[in-house]
Amino acid sequence: MTELRELPAIIEVCEKLKTAAACEFVGLALQNETGPDVRWHYASGNLNDKYKRITVRFGKGIAGKIISSGSKMMISDFPNQIFGKVTDYPIMLAEKLISSYAVPLFFNYVPKGVLLVGNRESHVFSEEVQQMVDDSALVLEQLLKEQIFR
Amino acid sequence: MDLQKSKQQISSYIIDTQEEEIKRIAHELHEGVGQNLYSILTGLQFVESGTKEPQMKNYLHEMTILIEKTIQEIRLLSVELHPPALTTLGLLPAVKSYSKLYTSTFGILVDLESFGVEKPIPEKRRIAVFRVCQEAFMNIAKYADSSNIKVNFIWKEEELTITIRDFGSGFEPESLNLQHTSGLSAMKERMLHTGGRCTISSKIGEGTLIELSLPLNVE
Repeated sequence: MTELRELPAIIEVCEKLKTAAACEFVGLALQNETGPDVRWHYASGNLNDKYKRITVRFGKGIAGKIISSGSKMMISDFPNQIFGKVTDYPIMLAEKLISSYAVPLFFNYVPKGVLLVGNRESHVFSEEVQQMVDDSALVLEQLLKEQIFR
Repeated sequence: MDLQKSKQQISSYIIDTQEEEIKRIAHELHEGVGQNLYSILTGLQFVESGTKEPQMKNYLHEMTILIEKTIQEIRLLSVELHPPALTTLGLLPAVKSYSKLYTSTFGILVDLESFGVEKPIPEKRRIAVFRVCQEAFMNIAKYADSSNIKVNFIWKEEELTITIRDFGSGFEPESLNLQHTSGLSAMKERMLHTGGRCTISSKIGEGTLIELSLPLNVE
């Protein structure tokens, strides 16, 4: 897959979202072109490069659940009130995130990616911020369709 | 003294029973559910190859990807519960295999080295040491804020020493929460059951060192 970190249009959308939503972290996970693996392809505001090595587990954690269900998800005070174990949420642990809001990216009506914004303190994402993330996800879907999932 | 011995025996019995059950579930997942899903996958691929209608072909393709993901997750769950390498190949290969899974799950690099000649360890003790290593790895992912781990296996004639070092935030034992303290106590207790010991040392800002030693000449 083309390295997303090298695609300026993708970077621009993520950076704009990070500023507009005033969040500390933005991550973009996508399913590989071949095989079922989902990996974090781009991150901004990251503390380390662990995200590059993480393969998202299907149905586990925030990204895995979103890919398997196609629904949005918010965590406002990690690790309180989560489903499953703390270790089911590797990106939250790796980036020391306490709150996150994530939405699916659809390609041919199938969820194949996740756009996640996060903060390192407990936080409830307002409807306005949620709308920003939703809008950015739509833009990313379009860009990725043109550049990768042609 | 007798009471303590009896308590230890009960504790060992509970652990052994749990391990047997975990092994059974892991085997069922891998050989039962996993194999059935694999049959469904090959069936779907066969139907997909014989379908000409593009929309239906696309739908079938998405279905095969979903089944592939499910098979992968079943396999990972099974390996996480009870790695087959632990029974077939031994402790060191099992920890090596677990390290790879750990890096792809948490993004934490594991540098594992073994010194000396590997020796056979009875299965119950092998499982116990593996579980302690697993707990140490999990604690690092949860609390240590470290990007890499250094693991050494040192095989001597009469003893195996395993050191697990992280380079994260470290901790002061007094400041630990109950869950973390219980986890560390369970590691020590489990090593005691094997006839070995577990020592934990940590310094704020310098990381944590866990040292496990297991006598090799005990029947």
